[in-house]
Amino acid sequence: MNIIQTHDLCKQYGNALRVSHLNLNVPEGSIYGFLGPNGAGKSTTLKMILGLVRPTAGSIRVLGKDMDNSNRLSVLRQVGSLIESPSYYGHLTGEENLRIVQTLRGIPEKNIREVLQIVRLDGQREKKVAHYSLGMKQRLGLAAALLGYPKLLILDEPTNGLDPAGIQEMRELICDLPGRFGMTVVVSSHLLSEIDQMANHVAIIREGELVFQDSLEALHGRSRHHLALRTTNNAIARRLLAEQSVPCEEENGYLILPILSDEVAAQLTGFLAGNRLGIVRLEERQKSLEDIFLDLTGKAASL
Amino acid sequence: MTLLKLEFYKCRRRNIVLICAAILAVQFIWMTAYFSRQDAEDLKWGWMLLLYNLSTVDAIILPLSVATLASRNCELEHKGSTWKLLETMATPGQLYTAKLVWGALVLAVLLIIRSVLFLSVGIAQGFQGAIPWGRFGLFTLLSWAVSMMVYALQQGLSLRFANQAAALVCGIAGSFLGILSMLFPPALVRCVPWGYYGLLSLVFMDWNKATRVTRFYWHALPATDVALLLLWMAVFLIAGRALFVKKEV
Repeated sequence: MNIIQTHDLCKQYGNALRVSHLNLNVPEGSIYGFLGPNGAGKSTTLKMILGLVRPTAGSIRVLGKDMDNSNRLSVLRQVGSLIESPSYYGHLTGEENLRIVQTLRGIPEKNIREVLQIVRLDGQREKKVAHYSLGMKQRLGLAAALLGYPKLLILDEPTNGLDPAGIQEMRELICDLPGRFGMTVVVSSHLLSEIDQMANHVAIIREGELVFQDSLEALHGRSRHHLALRTTNNAIARRLLAEQSVPCEEENGYLILPILSDEVAAQLTGFLAGNRLGIVRLEERQKSLEDIFLDLTGKAASL
Repeated sequence: MTLLKLEFYKCRRRNIVLICAAILAVQFIWMTAYFSRQDAEDLKWGWMLLLYNLSTVDAIILPLSVATLASRNCELEHKGSTWKLLETMATPGQLYTAKLVWGALVLAVLLIIRSVLFLSVGIAQGFQGAIPWGRFGLFTLLSWAVSMMVYALQQGLSLRFANQAAALVCGIAGSFLGILSMLFPPALVRCVPWGYYGLLSLVFMDWNKATRVTRFYWHALPATDVALLLLWMAVFLIAGRALFVKKEV
Protein backbone atom coordinates (compact mmCIF):
# COMPACT_ATOMS: atom_id res chain seq x y z
CA MET A 1 0.00 0.00 0.00
CA ASN A 2 1.17 3.52 -0.76
CA ILE A 3 1.01 5.82 2.25
CA ILE A 4 1.33 8.91 0.05
CA GLN A 5 0.09 9.14 -3.50
CA THR A 6 0.09 12.28 -5.59
CA HIS A 7 -1.47 12.52 -8.99
CA ASP A 8 -0.48 15.20 -11.50
CA LEU A 9 0.51 17.51 -8.65
CA CYS A 10 1.39 21.01 -9.87
CA LYS A 11 2.31 24.29 -8.23
CA GLN A 12 2.62 27.48 -10.19
CA TYR A 13 4.08 30.73 -8.85
CA GLY A 14 3.46 33.55 -11.31
CA ASN A 15 4.31 32.08 -14.70
CA ALA A 16 6.75 29.53 -13.34
CA LEU A 17 5.63 25.93 -12.83
CA ARG A 18 7.69 25.03 -9.74
CA VAL A 19 6.20 21.54 -9.38
CA SER A 20 5.09 19.86 -12.56
CA HIS A 21 2.71 16.89 -12.83
CA LEU A 22 4.27 14.98 -9.96
CA ASN A 23 3.12 11.39 -9.38
CA LEU A 24 4.69 10.23 -6.14
CA ASN A 25 4.06 6.80 -4.61
CA VAL A 26 5.48 6.33 -1.14
CA PRO A 27 5.29 2.66 -0.02
CA GLU A 28 4.23 2.01 3.57
CA GLY A 29 7.08 1.18 5.94
CA SER A 30 9.75 2.60 3.65
CA ILE A 31 12.34 5.28 4.12
CA TYR A 32 11.59 7.29 1.04
CA GLY A 33 14.38 9.57 -0.08
CA PHE A 34 13.20 12.65 -1.95
CA LEU A 35 16.24 13.88 -3.76
CA GLY A 36 16.88 16.91 -5.89
CA PRO A 37 19.10 19.96 -6.21
CA ASN A 38 18.25 23.11 -4.26
CA GLY A 39 15.24 24.86 -5.79
CA ALA A 40 14.00 21.68 -7.48
CA GLY A 41 10.63 21.89 -5.69
CA LYS A 42 11.15 19.42 -2.83
CA SER A 43 9.97 21.69 0.01
CA THR A 44 7.04 22.98 -2.03
CA THR A 45 5.95 19.39 -2.73
CA LEU A 46 6.21 18.37 0.93
CA LYS A 47 4.33 21.50 1.99
CA MET A 48 1.57 20.65 -0.49
CA ILE A 49 1.35 17.14 0.99
CA LEU A 50 0.91 18.73 4.44
CA GLY A 51 -1.64 21.23 3.14
CA LEU A 52 0.57 24.21 3.99
CA VAL A 53 0.69 25.23 0.33
CA ARG A 54 -2.30 24.94 -1.98
CA PRO A 55 -1.65 22.92 -5.16
CA THR A 56 -2.43 24.65 -8.45
CA ALA A 57 -3.61 21.30 -9.84
CA GLY A 58 -3.58 17.61 -9.03
CA SER A 59 -4.59 15.50 -6.07
CA ILE A 60 -2.97 14.12 -2.94
CA ARG A 61 -3.86 10.99 -0.98
CA VAL A 62 -2.29 10.50 2.44
CA LEU A 63 -2.94 7.35 4.50
CA GLY A 64 -5.53 6.32 1.97
CA LYS A 65 -7.56 9.52 2.26
CA ASP A 66 -7.90 12.38 -0.19
CA MET A 67 -6.44 15.51 1.38
CA ASP A 68 -8.84 18.43 1.36
CA ASN A 69 -9.71 21.26 3.72
CA SER A 70 -12.38 19.24 5.49
CA ASN A 71 -10.19 16.30 6.54
CA ARG A 72 -6.69 17.78 6.40
CA LEU A 73 -6.23 18.16 10.14
CA SER A 74 -7.70 14.75 10.98
CA VAL A 75 -5.31 13.07 8.50
CA LEU A 76 -2.38 15.11 9.81
CA ARG A 77 -3.01 13.78 13.34
CA GLN A 78 -1.16 10.69 12.14
CA VAL A 79 1.59 12.64 10.41
CA GLY A 80 4.66 14.22 11.98
CA SER A 81 6.66 16.79 10.09
CA LEU A 82 9.81 18.83 10.19
CA ILE A 83 9.86 21.28 7.32
CA GLU A 84 13.00 23.25 6.46
CA SER A 85 14.34 24.85 9.66
CA PRO A 86 13.00 23.59 13.02
CA SER A 87 10.01 25.40 14.53
CA TYR A 88 10.48 26.47 18.13
CA TYR A 89 9.79 29.11 20.78
CA GLY A 90 13.22 30.31 21.86
CA HIS A 91 12.01 31.82 25.14
CA LEU A 92 10.51 28.51 26.26
CA THR A 93 12.35 25.37 27.37
CA GLY A 94 12.54 22.25 25.22
CA GLU A 95 9.94 20.56 27.40
CA GLU A 96 7.59 23.57 27.24
CA ASN A 97 7.91 23.59 23.45
CA LEU A 98 6.88 19.96 23.29
CA ARG A 99 4.02 20.58 25.73
CA ILE A 100 2.49 22.98 23.18
CA VAL A 101 2.51 20.27 20.49
CA GLN A 102 1.33 17.64 22.98
CA THR A 103 -1.63 19.84 24.04
CA LEU A 104 -2.59 20.66 20.46
CA ARG A 105 -2.41 17.04 19.38
CA GLY A 106 -4.20 15.84 22.53
CA ILE A 107 -1.68 13.10 23.22
CA PRO A 108 -0.48 11.71 26.58
CA GLU A 109 1.97 13.82 28.59
CA LYS A 110 4.31 10.88 29.09
CA ASN A 111 5.19 11.02 25.37
CA ILE A 112 7.17 14.21 26.03
CA ARG A 113 9.74 12.43 28.20
CA GLU A 114 9.84 9.47 25.84
CA VAL A 115 10.57 11.47 22.69
CA LEU A 116 13.13 13.59 24.55
CA GLN A 117 14.91 10.35 25.36
CA ILE A 118 14.65 9.10 21.78
CA VAL A 119 16.33 12.25 20.44
CA ARG A 120 18.72 12.30 23.41
CA LEU A 121 17.61 15.70 24.71
CA ASP A 122 16.28 14.60 28.10
CA GLY A 123 19.26 16.20 29.84
CA GLN A 124 18.50 19.55 28.19
CA ARG A 125 14.75 19.64 28.64
CA GLU A 126 14.76 22.55 31.11
CA LYS A 127 17.08 24.71 29.04
CA LYS A 128 15.62 27.55 26.94
CA VAL A 129 15.62 26.57 23.27
CA ALA A 130 17.25 29.89 22.34
CA HIS A 131 20.35 28.50 24.06
CA TYR A 132 20.29 25.21 22.10
CA SER A 133 22.77 24.54 19.31
CA LEU A 134 21.38 24.11 15.79
CA GLY A 135 21.76 20.34 16.10
CA MET A 136 19.77 20.34 19.34
CA LYS A 137 17.05 22.51 17.77
CA GLN A 138 16.89 20.08 14.87
CA ARG A 139 16.55 17.16 17.29
CA LEU A 140 13.85 19.04 19.19
CA GLY A 141 12.05 19.50 15.86
CA LEU A 142 12.30 15.76 15.29
CA ALA A 143 11.02 15.14 18.83
CA ALA A 144 7.99 17.36 18.11
CA ALA A 145 7.35 15.40 14.91
CA LEU A 146 7.64 12.08 16.77
CA LEU A 147 5.50 13.13 19.72
CA GLY A 148 2.33 11.35 18.65
CA TYR A 149 4.24 8.34 17.22
CA PRO A 150 2.75 9.10 13.81
CA LYS A 151 2.37 6.56 11.03
CA LEU A 152 4.08 8.91 8.63
CA LEU A 153 7.01 11.23 9.24
CA ILE A 154 7.91 13.93 6.72
CA LEU A 155 11.38 15.39 7.20
CA ASP A 156 12.59 18.13 4.91
CA GLU A 157 16.38 18.37 4.82
CA PRO A 158 16.71 17.31 8.49
CA THR A 159 20.52 17.38 8.42
CA ASN A 160 20.81 20.90 7.00
CA GLY A 161 23.34 22.96 8.89
CA LEU A 162 24.46 20.11 11.14
CA ASP A 163 28.10 19.19 11.73
CA PRO A 164 29.30 15.71 10.63
CA ALA A 165 28.63 14.20 14.08
CA GLY A 166 25.14 15.72 14.10
CA ILE A 167 24.45 14.41 10.60
CA GLN A 168 25.53 10.93 11.66
CA GLU A 169 23.34 11.09 14.78
CA MET A 170 20.29 12.32 12.86
CA ARG A 171 20.82 9.64 10.21
CA GLU A 172 20.95 6.89 12.84
CA LEU A 173 17.77 8.23 14.46
CA ILE A 174 15.91 8.27 11.13
CA CYS A 175 17.10 4.80 10.11
CA ASP A 176 15.85 3.44 13.44
CA LEU A 177 12.30 4.74 13.09
CA PRO A 178 10.61 2.24 10.71
CA GLY A 179 11.95 -0.76 12.62
CA ARG A 180 11.30 0.65 16.09
CA PHE A 181 7.94 2.34 15.62
CA GLY A 182 6.66 1.05 12.28
CA MET A 183 6.77 4.53 10.76
CA THR A 184 7.07 5.43 7.13
CA VAL A 185 9.65 8.19 6.69
CA VAL A 186 9.84 10.63 3.81
CA VAL A 187 13.15 12.43 3.94
CA SER A 188 14.25 15.05 1.46
CA SER A 189 17.81 16.02 0.74
CA HIS A 190 20.01 17.54 -1.91
CA LEU A 191 22.79 15.13 -0.93
CA LEU A 192 22.85 11.87 -2.84
CA SER A 193 25.22 10.22 -0.37
CA GLU A 194 22.83 10.96 2.48
CA ILE A 195 19.85 9.41 0.75
CA ASP A 196 22.03 6.47 -0.33
CA GLN A 197 22.80 5.76 3.34
CA MET A 198 19.27 6.19 4.67
CA ALA A 199 16.61 5.40 2.11
CA ASN A 200 15.33 2.22 0.56
CA HIS A 201 13.12 4.02 -1.97
CA VAL A 202 14.14 7.06 -3.96
CA ALA A 203 12.47 9.78 -5.98
CA ILE A 204 14.58 12.28 -7.86
CA ILE A 205 13.10 15.62 -8.83
CA ARG A 206 14.58 18.11 -11.27
CA GLU A 207 13.09 21.56 -11.87
CA GLY A 208 9.78 20.35 -10.48
CA GLU A 209 9.64 17.20 -12.59
CA LEU A 210 10.01 13.66 -11.35
CA VAL A 211 12.91 12.05 -13.22
CA PHE A 212 13.24 8.83 -11.22
CA GLN A 213 11.16 6.91 -8.72
CA ASP A 214 11.90 3.37 -7.62
CA SER A 215 13.78 1.37 -5.03
CA LEU A 216 17.37 2.26 -4.19
CA GLU A 217 18.43 -1.11 -5.66
CA ALA A 218 16.87 -0.12 -8.96
CA LEU A 219 18.87 3.12 -8.90
CA HIS A 220 22.04 1.17 -8.16
CA GLY A 221 21.09 -1.21 -10.96
CA ARG A 222 21.57 1.66 -13.37
CA SER A 223 25.24 1.81 -12.52
CA ARG A 224 26.14 -0.53 -15.43
CA HIS A 225 29.68 -1.61 -16.37
CA HIS A 226 31.29 -0.56 -19.65
CA LEU A 227 34.68 -0.48 -21.38
CA ALA A 228 36.59 2.72 -22.13
CA LEU A 229 39.06 2.49 -25.04
CA ARG A 230 41.62 5.06 -26.07
CA THR A 231 43.65 4.67 -29.28
CA THR A 232 46.20 6.72 -31.22
CA ASN A 233 43.36 7.71 -33.58
CA ASN A 234 39.90 7.44 -32.09
CA ALA A 235 38.12 8.60 -35.27
CA ILE A 236 39.54 5.74 -37.38
CA ALA A 237 39.05 3.29 -34.50
CA ARG A 238 35.40 4.31 -34.27
CA ARG A 239 34.91 3.68 -37.99
CA LEU A 240 36.63 0.29 -37.78
CA LEU A 241 34.53 -0.72 -34.76
CA ALA A 242 31.39 0.26 -36.63
CA GLU A 243 32.48 -2.01 -39.48
CA GLN A 244 32.76 -4.82 -36.91
CA SER A 245 29.25 -3.97 -35.61
CA VAL A 246 30.58 -2.95 -32.16
CA PRO A 247 28.51 0.00 -30.83
CA CYS A 248 30.53 2.82 -29.33
CA GLU A 249 30.31 6.47 -28.32
CA GLU A 250 33.08 8.97 -27.90
CA GLU A 251 33.29 10.66 -24.47
CA ASN A 252 36.14 12.77 -23.16
CA GLY A 253 38.75 11.28 -25.53
CA TYR A 254 37.60 7.71 -24.88
CA LEU A 255 35.45 5.36 -26.92
CA ILE A 256 32.82 3.87 -24.64
CA LEU A 257 32.02 0.27 -25.51
CA PRO A 258 29.66 -2.27 -23.94
CA ILE A 259 31.19 -4.97 -21.77
CA LEU A 260 32.87 -7.57 -24.02
CA SER A 261 34.09 -11.06 -23.22
CA ASP A 262 37.87 -11.44 -22.85
CA GLU A 263 38.01 -13.36 -26.14
CA VAL A 264 36.13 -10.69 -28.13
CA ALA A 265 38.14 -7.91 -26.46
CA ALA A 266 41.41 -9.64 -27.44
CA GLN A 267 40.22 -10.10 -31.04
CA LEU A 268 39.16 -6.47 -31.24
CA THR A 269 42.45 -5.04 -29.95
CA GLY A 270 44.31 -7.34 -32.36
CA PHE A 271 42.11 -6.12 -35.21
CA LEU A 272 42.79 -2.46 -34.33
CA ALA A 273 46.54 -3.11 -33.99
CA GLY A 274 46.45 -4.85 -37.38
CA ASN A 275 45.09 -1.61 -38.79
CA ARG A 276 48.10 0.25 -37.34
CA LEU A 277 46.26 1.77 -34.45
CA GLY A 278 48.00 1.88 -31.08
CA ILE A 279 45.91 0.89 -28.04
CA VAL A 280 46.77 3.45 -25.39
CA ARG A 281 44.18 2.54 -22.72
CA LEU A 282 41.51 -0.14 -22.25
CA GLU A 283 39.67 0.17 -18.93
CA GLU A 284 36.62 -1.43 -17.36
CA ARG A 285 34.45 1.25 -15.78
CA GLN A 286 31.32 1.38 -13.66
CA LYS A 287 28.91 4.31 -13.68
CA SER A 288 28.79 5.73 -10.18
CA LEU A 289 25.62 6.82 -8.38
CA GLU A 290 26.90 10.37 -8.77
CA ASP A 291 27.06 9.92 -12.55
CA ILE A 292 23.48 8.63 -12.56
CA PHE A 293 22.32 11.56 -10.45
CA LEU A 294 24.19 13.91 -12.79
CA ASP A 295 22.57 12.29 -15.81
CA LEU A 296 19.13 12.54 -14.24
CA THR A 297 19.34 16.04 -12.81
CA GLY A 298 21.96 17.66 -14.98
CA LYS A 299 23.63 18.87 -11.78
CA ALA A 300 26.41 17.66 -9.52
CA ALA A 301 25.55 15.17 -6.76
CA SER A 302 25.71 17.75 -4.00
CA LEU A 303 24.35 21.15 -4.88
CA MET B 1 -10.22 27.07 24.13
CA THR B 2 -7.06 24.94 23.92
CA LEU B 3 -5.53 27.36 21.47
CA LEU B 4 -6.42 30.31 23.70
CA LYS B 5 -4.83 28.64 26.75
CA LEU B 6 -1.75 27.99 24.67
CA GLU B 7 -1.55 31.66 23.69
CA PHE B 8 -1.13 32.50 27.39
CA TYR B 9 1.30 29.60 27.80
CA LYS B 10 3.40 30.79 24.86
CA CYS B 11 3.55 34.31 26.29
CA ARG B 12 5.45 33.11 29.38
CA ARG B 13 8.61 35.15 29.85
CA ARG B 14 7.45 37.60 27.17
CA ASN B 15 7.09 40.33 29.86
CA ILE B 16 3.43 40.94 29.04
CA VAL B 17 2.65 41.75 32.70
CA LEU B 18 5.60 44.14 32.80
CA ILE B 19 4.39 45.91 29.66
CA CYS B 20 0.88 46.25 31.12
CA ALA B 21 2.35 47.56 34.40
CA ALA B 22 4.39 50.09 32.43
CA ILE B 23 1.27 51.27 30.56
CA LEU B 24 -0.57 51.74 33.87
CA ALA B 25 2.44 53.47 35.43
CA VAL B 26 2.75 55.95 32.55
CA GLN B 27 -0.98 56.76 32.70
CA PHE B 28 -0.82 57.12 36.47
CA ILE B 29 2.24 59.40 36.42
CA TRP B 30 0.73 61.48 33.62
CA MET B 31 -2.56 61.96 35.48
CA THR B 32 -0.83 62.62 38.80
CA ALA B 33 1.32 65.29 37.16
CA TYR B 34 -1.76 66.83 35.55
CA PHE B 35 -3.88 66.90 38.69
CA SER B 36 -1.06 68.26 40.83
CA ARG B 37 -1.04 71.38 38.60
CA GLN B 38 -4.79 72.05 38.94
CA ASP B 39 -6.17 74.62 41.37
CA ALA B 40 -9.23 74.17 43.59
CA GLU B 41 -11.49 75.77 40.95
CA ASP B 42 -10.50 73.17 38.34
CA LEU B 43 -10.63 70.28 40.78
CA LYS B 44 -14.30 70.96 41.42
CA TRP B 45 -14.91 69.20 38.07
CA GLY B 46 -13.37 66.11 39.71
CA TRP B 47 -14.76 63.04 37.92
CA MET B 48 -15.42 64.87 34.65
CA LEU B 49 -11.89 66.22 34.59
CA LEU B 50 -10.57 62.73 35.27
CA LEU B 51 -12.55 61.04 32.48
CA TYR B 52 -11.84 63.87 30.02
CA ASN B 53 -8.10 63.60 30.59
CA LEU B 54 -8.12 59.82 30.64
CA SER B 55 -9.53 59.75 27.11
CA THR B 56 -6.77 62.17 26.04
CA VAL B 57 -4.10 60.04 27.70
CA ASP B 58 -5.61 56.93 26.07
CA ALA B 59 -5.36 58.56 22.64
CA ILE B 60 -1.63 59.13 23.19
CA ILE B 61 -0.59 55.99 25.03
CA LEU B 62 -2.91 53.18 23.98
CA PRO B 63 -2.18 53.06 20.21
CA LEU B 64 1.49 52.31 20.81
CA SER B 65 0.68 50.07 23.80
CA VAL B 66 -1.79 48.02 21.77
CA ALA B 67 0.74 47.77 18.92
CA THR B 68 3.38 46.53 21.39
CA LEU B 69 1.08 43.88 22.88
CA ALA B 70 -0.01 42.60 19.45
CA SER B 71 3.59 42.56 18.28
CA ARG B 72 4.82 40.65 21.36
CA ASN B 73 2.17 38.01 20.78
CA CYS B 74 2.71 37.58 17.02
CA GLU B 75 6.46 38.05 16.82
CA LEU B 76 7.18 34.82 18.70
CA GLU B 77 5.64 32.81 15.86
CA HIS B 78 7.69 34.56 13.17
CA LYS B 79 10.88 34.32 15.22
CA GLY B 80 10.65 30.56 15.64
CA SER B 81 9.11 29.80 12.19
CA THR B 82 6.28 28.08 14.01
CA TRP B 83 3.51 28.68 11.48
CA LYS B 84 4.43 25.57 9.48
CA LEU B 85 4.20 23.51 12.67
CA LEU B 86 1.01 25.11 14.04
CA GLU B 87 -0.83 24.90 10.74
CA THR B 88 -0.48 21.12 10.70
CA MET B 89 -2.50 21.07 13.94
CA ALA B 90 -4.92 24.00 13.58
CA THR B 91 -6.38 26.05 10.77
CA PRO B 92 -5.02 29.56 10.14
CA GLY B 93 -8.47 30.93 11.00
CA GLN B 94 -8.40 29.26 14.42
CA LEU B 95 -4.91 30.60 15.09
CA TYR B 96 -6.01 34.12 14.12
CA THR B 97 -9.03 33.93 16.43
CA ALA B 98 -7.00 32.59 19.37
CA LYS B 99 -4.56 35.48 19.09
CA LEU B 100 -7.38 38.01 18.81
CA VAL B 101 -9.19 36.65 21.87
CA TRP B 102 -5.88 36.67 23.77
CA GLY B 103 -5.53 40.37 22.94
CA ALA B 104 -9.15 41.04 23.91
CA LEU B 105 -8.68 39.43 27.32
CA VAL B 106 -5.35 41.12 28.05
CA LEU B 107 -6.75 44.52 27.09
CA ALA B 108 -9.94 43.92 29.09
CA VAL B 109 -7.98 43.07 32.25
CA LEU B 110 -5.59 45.98 31.68
CA LEU B 111 -8.40 48.51 31.21
CA ILE B 112 -10.47 47.18 34.12
CA ILE B 113 -7.44 47.50 36.43
CA ARG B 114 -6.85 50.98 35.01
CA SER B 115 -10.44 52.00 35.79
CA VAL B 116 -10.30 50.53 39.30
CA LEU B 117 -7.03 52.37 39.89
CA PHE B 118 -8.37 55.77 38.85
CA LEU B 119 -11.71 55.24 40.60
CA SER B 120 -9.77 54.54 43.78
CA VAL B 121 -7.67 57.67 43.23
CA GLY B 122 -10.81 59.76 42.70
CA ILE B 123 -12.45 58.38 45.83
CA ALA B 124 -9.23 58.84 47.85
CA GLN B 125 -8.92 62.44 46.61
CA GLY B 126 -12.53 63.10 47.56
CA PHE B 127 -13.74 64.24 44.13
CA GLN B 128 -16.99 66.18 44.40
CA GLY B 129 -20.34 64.70 43.45
CA ALA B 130 -21.62 61.17 43.24
CA ILE B 131 -19.26 58.55 41.90
CA PRO B 132 -20.23 58.01 38.22
CA TRP B 133 -20.11 54.21 38.35
CA GLY B 134 -22.11 53.77 35.16
CA ARG B 135 -20.10 56.26 33.17
CA PHE B 136 -16.84 54.78 34.41
CA GLY B 137 -18.06 51.36 33.30
CA LEU B 138 -19.10 52.74 29.92
CA PHE B 139 -15.79 54.58 29.56
CA THR B 140 -13.91 51.32 30.26
CA LEU B 141 -16.03 49.49 27.69
CA LEU B 142 -15.44 52.21 25.09
CA SER B 143 -11.67 52.28 25.73
CA TRP B 144 -11.64 48.51 25.28
CA ALA B 145 -13.75 48.65 22.10
CA VAL B 146 -11.54 51.31 20.49
CA SER B 147 -8.44 49.40 21.60
CA MET B 148 -9.83 46.22 20.06
CA MET B 149 -10.39 48.03 16.77
CA VAL B 150 -6.78 49.19 16.89
CA TYR B 151 -5.68 45.71 18.02
CA ALA B 152 -7.37 44.13 14.98
CA LEU B 153 -5.37 46.48 12.75
CA GLN B 154 -2.13 45.84 14.63
CA GLN B 155 -2.58 42.07 14.72
CA GLY B 156 -3.20 42.07 10.98
CA LEU B 157 0.09 43.92 10.44
CA SER B 158 2.04 41.87 12.98
CA LEU B 159 0.88 38.61 11.44
CA ARG B 160 1.44 39.76 7.88
CA PHE B 161 4.98 41.08 8.29
CA ALA B 162 7.66 39.07 10.07
CA ASN B 163 9.59 42.28 10.70
CA GLN B 164 7.65 44.00 13.46
CA ALA B 165 9.02 47.43 12.57
CA ALA B 166 6.06 48.05 10.23
CA ALA B 167 3.51 47.31 12.97
CA LEU B 168 5.35 49.35 15.60
CA VAL B 169 5.80 52.34 13.27
CA CYS B 170 2.04 52.15 12.68
CA GLY B 171 1.54 52.18 16.47
CA ILE B 172 3.77 55.24 16.89
CA ALA B 173 1.96 57.01 14.05
CA GLY B 174 -1.32 56.04 15.72
CA SER B 175 -0.28 57.63 19.02
CA PHE B 176 0.67 60.80 17.18
CA LEU B 177 -2.52 60.90 15.10
CA GLY B 178 -4.62 59.96 18.13
CA ILE B 179 -3.80 63.18 19.93
CA LEU B 180 -3.47 65.31 16.80
CA SER B 181 -6.91 64.26 15.58
CA MET B 182 -8.48 65.94 18.62
CA LEU B 183 -7.77 69.18 16.80
CA PHE B 184 -9.46 67.97 13.59
CA PRO B 185 -13.07 68.71 12.67
CA PRO B 186 -15.33 65.78 13.80
CA ALA B 187 -15.95 64.59 10.22
CA LEU B 188 -12.20 64.13 9.71
CA VAL B 189 -11.67 62.50 13.11
CA ARG B 190 -14.06 59.74 12.03
CA CYS B 191 -11.59 58.84 9.27
CA VAL B 192 -8.74 58.34 11.75
CA PRO B 193 -9.04 55.00 13.62
CA TRP B 194 -6.98 56.22 16.59
CA GLY B 195 -9.12 59.36 16.82
CA TYR B 196 -12.00 57.35 18.29
CA TYR B 197 -10.42 57.51 21.76
CA GLY B 198 -11.15 61.23 21.76
CA LEU B 199 -14.26 61.08 19.58
CA LEU B 200 -16.05 58.72 21.95
CA SER B 201 -15.10 60.67 25.07
CA LEU B 202 -17.96 60.89 27.55
CA VAL B 203 -16.90 64.35 28.70
CA PHE B 204 -16.52 67.37 26.49
CA MET B 205 -14.99 70.73 27.34
CA ASP B 206 -16.36 74.19 26.60
CA TRP B 207 -14.03 77.13 26.90
CA ASN B 208 -15.71 80.53 27.00
CA LYS B 209 -13.55 83.09 25.26
CA ALA B 210 -15.23 86.06 26.92
CA THR B 211 -15.20 84.83 30.49
CA ARG B 212 -12.08 82.62 30.01
CA VAL B 213 -13.88 79.98 32.02
CA THR B 214 -13.70 76.28 31.20
CA ARG B 215 -16.77 74.18 31.64
CA PHE B 216 -16.99 70.38 31.40
CA TYR B 217 -20.18 68.54 30.55
CA TRP B 218 -21.35 64.96 30.04
CA HIS B 219 -21.71 64.09 26.40
CA ALA B 220 -24.23 61.57 25.11
CA LEU B 221 -22.69 58.80 23.05
CA PRO B 222 -23.52 59.31 19.34
CA ALA B 223 -24.88 56.07 17.88
CA THR B 224 -23.37 56.94 14.48
CA ASP B 225 -19.86 57.09 15.91
CA VAL B 226 -20.33 53.78 17.70
CA ALA B 227 -21.56 52.26 14.43
CA LEU B 228 -18.54 53.69 12.61
CA LEU B 229 -16.24 52.24 15.27
CA LEU B 230 -17.80 48.81 14.71
CA LEU B 231 -17.43 49.28 10.96
CA TRP B 232 -13.71 50.07 11.29
CA MET B 233 -13.32 47.06 13.53
CA ALA B 234 -15.10 44.79 11.04
CA VAL B 235 -12.90 46.07 8.19
CA PHE B 236 -9.67 45.42 10.12
CA LEU B 237 -10.85 42.01 11.29
CA ILE B 238 -12.02 40.82 7.89
CA ALA B 239 -8.99 42.19 6.02
CA GLY B 240 -6.48 41.01 8.64
CA ARG B 241 -7.96 37.53 8.84
CA ALA B 242 -8.28 37.15 5.07
CA LEU B 243 -4.66 38.22 4.49
CA PHE B 244 -3.43 35.83 7.18
CA VAL B 245 -5.49 32.86 6.03
CA LYS B 246 -4.51 33.42 2.39
CA LYS B 247 -0.80 33.54 3.16
CA GLU B 248 1.02 30.27 2.49
CA VAL B 249 3.74 29.31 4.93
